[in-house]
Amino acid sequence: MEEKKGADPKIIVAVQMTSIGVILIILGLTVFVLSILTMAGTAPTDNAWTPYIRMCSVISNGGITILGIAFAIGGVARFKRAKKQE
Amino acid sequence: MPSDFIIIGLYLALMFTAGIFFSRNIKSTADYFLAARSAPWFWIMGAVWATNIGFLHGYLAHGGAAYEWGLIQANFEWFQGPFGYVLTGLFFIAFYWRAGIFTVPHFLETRYGSGIRVIYSIGWLIFFIITIAAELYLGGMFLKNILHIPFWPTVFVLTAVVGTYTLLGGLGAAIMMEFVQFVIMMVGTMPLVFILLNMVGGFEGLKDVLLTQWNISPQYFSVLPDNHHPYGPGPWIILGQCFVVTIGWCAGHQSMVQRNLGARSLYDSKLGYVVAGLPKTLGAFLYIVPMVAAPIIFAQRGIFVEKADAAYGKLILNLLPAGMLGLFIAGLVSAGLSSISGVLNSSSTIVIKDIYERFIVKGKADHHYFVAGRVATFGIIVASLLLVSIVAKSPLIMWLEQTLLAILLGPFMAILILAIFWRRTNTPGSLIGYLVGSAFAIYYQQVLGQRVFFKISWWSFVVALAVTVVASLLTKRPKPEKVEGLTWESDFHARVGEITEQRAVNNGTKVTEMPEIKVTIPPWYLNLKYWATGILLAQLALLFFFG
Repeated sequence: MEEKKGADPKIIVAVQMTSIGVILIILGLTVFVLSILTMAGTAPTDNAWTPYIRMCSVISNGGITILGIAFAIGGVARFKRAKKQE
Repeated sequence: MPSDFIIIGLYLALMFTAGIFFSRNIKSTADYFLAARSAPWFWIMGAVWATNIGFLHGYLAHGGAAYEWGLIQANFEWFQGPFGYVLTGLFFIAFYWRAGIFTVPHFLETRYGSGIRVIYSIGWLIFFIITIAAELYLGGMFLKNILHIPFWPTVFVLTAVVGTYTLLGGLGAAIMMEFVQFVIMMVGTMPLVFILLNMVGGFEGLKDVLLTQWNISPQYFSVLPDNHHPYGPGPWIILGQCFVVTIGWCAGHQSMVQRNLGARSLYDSKLGYVVAGLPKTLGAFLYIVPMVAAPIIFAQRGIFVEKADAAYGKLILNLLPAGMLGLFIAGLVSAGLSSISGVLNSSSTIVIKDIYERFIVKGKADHHYFVAGRVATFGIIVASLLLVSIVAKSPLIMWLEQTLLAILLGPFMAILILAIFWRRTNTPGSLIGYLVGSAFAIYYQQVLGQRVFFKISWWSFVVALAVTVVASLLTKRPKPEKVEGLTWESDFHARVGEITEQRAVNNGTKVTEMPEIKVTIPPWYLNLKYWATGILLAQLALLFFFG
């Protein structure tokens, strides 16, 4: 019995990488913007620790966004390479 | 805060949309159950780790146990890393690839026969459905307590999101989402340990407060406590945990193994598993170390924690500002979703490949089994949802889960080790050994009243090993062609094509389903041996400091 053949695995990985990148960028930037917007709001912690916690928040959001950008760029590059080889 | 709701809502919407988007590429059972064998090693690493970390085996339950018992809980993170992932990646995964299988029970049939496949499949299937129900229950309760939203609608939304992307996108979508979840958990929730340790004056400050001022036992900071520790006696952690439970979990848990079978090459599969030992080790800094420090924060702020499972939620709720709290909740939801999607996809694979295709409807076109896979996924979602309310009320379910795990892992490790390292092990020997080992686990737990899970696993492993050896020696030697390519001493690479054909004749594995096994020469920074050595040394260093 003949089996249906799926898409080229290289293209699948490239599209997956790009999608992961886009998801991480959207999430990282949204959290970043919302954190800035709510910065004037109440933080349930001591005032002395608030700047440090905010800094940690910025670093983790930044990390997620940078990883997202890296994945998006890597995914697009892989996609172009896979299309060329086809 | 509204901003936290926006972040969680956005996160769930992204997961849902991406799952639907990826369902377009799924056309065959190999695509659906094995992600078209396309995943690179870093996908595997993220997916294996994320599948293993959930509400149950991660932030809430493990974090809660760390809050109650201390650093001993880190032995799961600091032993599973080297002994589970690294050893499975180095020694066991290759045999699964050589056998050309979709599932672990399929491997057992290839080596031993169909009887063991049926018993093992049904055991894991029950365990998986209970796990999904327990994860949904814990997730619903967590979001209810932290965001004050109703329980059942929350459970339905979680089920709809994870069910949609797993049902439509299969393993490929699940792996992809798990990688996103891996990043959110690792990068998004890691800051907590730095914040807490800074607040309590570092690790030394933490020890000083708890040991000197609070007079807590030094065992609270020991990963390997003495033999009288009620939660986890050290020697049994080494025997039962390192050598049976963790390797059995990594090599026998279908959702962990299935992610590796979805790799684009055997090397990617092995490397993904070995490197997953690194995030596993770091997992202790996500939810164990923060929860060891949590009692001081709670005492300083006058916060009362009624149940250990709720401690992590209370901690982040009382510590983090809006925005960051939303990201943390998204991180925790990620843990739950990744665990559910892993188990859900594996359950449907077992139903279709080990039961439906093998025993009920044979020889249909691939598309038939692909559609049946989606139907099975839906059926398992419904069964798990029905079980949520029972899990909430009945301690019997959690007892059943623990018992099943003790029955499954100890005897499984015995017959797996013998399958690979001793050609003489045969079908009757393995079946008798497995059944006697399982019966012993039940007897030891129920009749003799043993409650230390590691002890049950260790002794059921020993009993199954001894019985399998004796029964195999008393019965006929297996035919050489049946074990060829599946044992340690087989010259697999020299005869790969011939073995593939033979396997097709022996157990019905379609030749088109056999993975292509290439010899890969990696760059130095992806060398399997370097990674394995580095991770093992890191574990030894951690044990030296915290042992």
